[in-house]
Amino acid sequence: MSVSEEIGERTAGGARILRIWDMPTRAMHWLLALSIAVCWWTGLHNQLEYHLYSGYAALWIVLMRLYWGVVGSSTARFVNFVRGPRAVIDYARTLHRRSTPPVHGHNALGAISVLLMLGLVLAVIGLGLFAVDVDGLYSGPMSSYVSFRAGRHLSHLHYKWFNALLAVIVLHLLAVVFYYVHKRHNLVFPMISGRRTGAADADGDLRVAPFWRFALGAVIVSGLVWMVTTGFYF
Amino acid sequence: MSSVSAFRRAAGAALVLSLSTTLIVQAAPSNKDLIKSRQDKLRDMGGALKAIDDELKKRTIDWDNVILPNADTLQSRSGFLLGWFPKGSGPESGVKTYALPALWQKGDDFTKLGKAMMAETAKLNQVAAAKDGAALKAQAFIVGKACKACHDNYRSPDYEKENDD
Repeated sequence: MSVSEEIGERTAGGARILRIWDMPTRAMHWLLALSIAVCWWTGLHNQLEYHLYSGYAALWIVLMRLYWGVVGSSTARFVNFVRGPRAVIDYARTLHRRSTPPVHGHNALGAISVLLMLGLVLAVIGLGLFAVDVDGLYSGPMSSYVSFRAGRHLSHLHYKWFNALLAVIVLHLLAVVFYYVHKRHNLVFPMISGRRTGAADADGDLRVAPFWRFALGAVIVSGLVWMVTTGFYF
Repeated sequence: MSSVSAFRRAAGAALVLSLSTTLIVQAAPSNKDLIKSRQDKLRDMGGALKAIDDELKKRTIDWDNVILPNADTLQSRSGFLLGWFPKGSGPESGVKTYALPALWQKGDDFTKLGKAMMAETAKLNQVAAAKDGAALKAQAFIVGKACKACHDNYRSPDYEKENDD
């Protein structure tokens, strides 16, 4: 059961405060950023024990985000923001304009970034699960299904694809700066507070999914990630 | 002297020359062959440790066909390890290698680590012979740390960035 919330708070200037991102979406966003940062640092410094833990955390978050993209709150659902090529092109044509109204949720171009990032994180983690540590101390939990040589090759791809992910992250950060500088849209604050300020006649609502749905997903995803960590050796 | 015998002499000389050249080449392998050979052998050692680790995850451990032969590979190879890095076989050879010059600059430390590897792989064999899964797991971890001790200091971090096929 989802709860539809009409947000009618008004600021002194007559602008409306609109709810845009629910708590799980915001938490997953920042925790994913944090876990990727930890994965990066531990990978670079050969701290593979902690690299494994942070990788599992990132896997949990990405799987939860995918789940939330299907059954979560309205602005988190893929069906509400993933658009076809025409919509993407139409939106891209308005990019240069300074005074476009903010999109309530991910815009058509941002949707590609979301999919690309989630896909790349999943691909990098997938490669990491089969990656072989050359010292045999902290290989990926599924590395026993591949040979030493194949596993080393997958480690290399794990590294290479992470660089592709980094490139997309940089693009994402540049886009945030671009929106702030060029369009005067602050995208960071709403991702922290969950709210944005809209014009008095701005529309936009957030249908918040019930918490039990998140909890149910958390149990299922935790079970899945646990199975992966054991390499399916029960 | 007939032209036939002259030909025979020339052919014989050519044969002797080519054989001796081959022998010389075999007696003193080039740095390229040496580096390739040590990389292959070290990779085999990594594969042997992996085979042991993988086997230990299973419910039924195949001691005779998997654990013992791989533990033996690790011990016998580590006995030769220190001989795989003669002076001149570092990056200065012009051949692509991830071995750092520090390996030769701190030769005593490298020798100490190589000997530690020999001791730990010997212990690995003892534990494997006793067929004690928990003890073997602990010892395999110690052997892995012995690998890492050298890799941390004497192998370029570029190793992770590039494909080591």
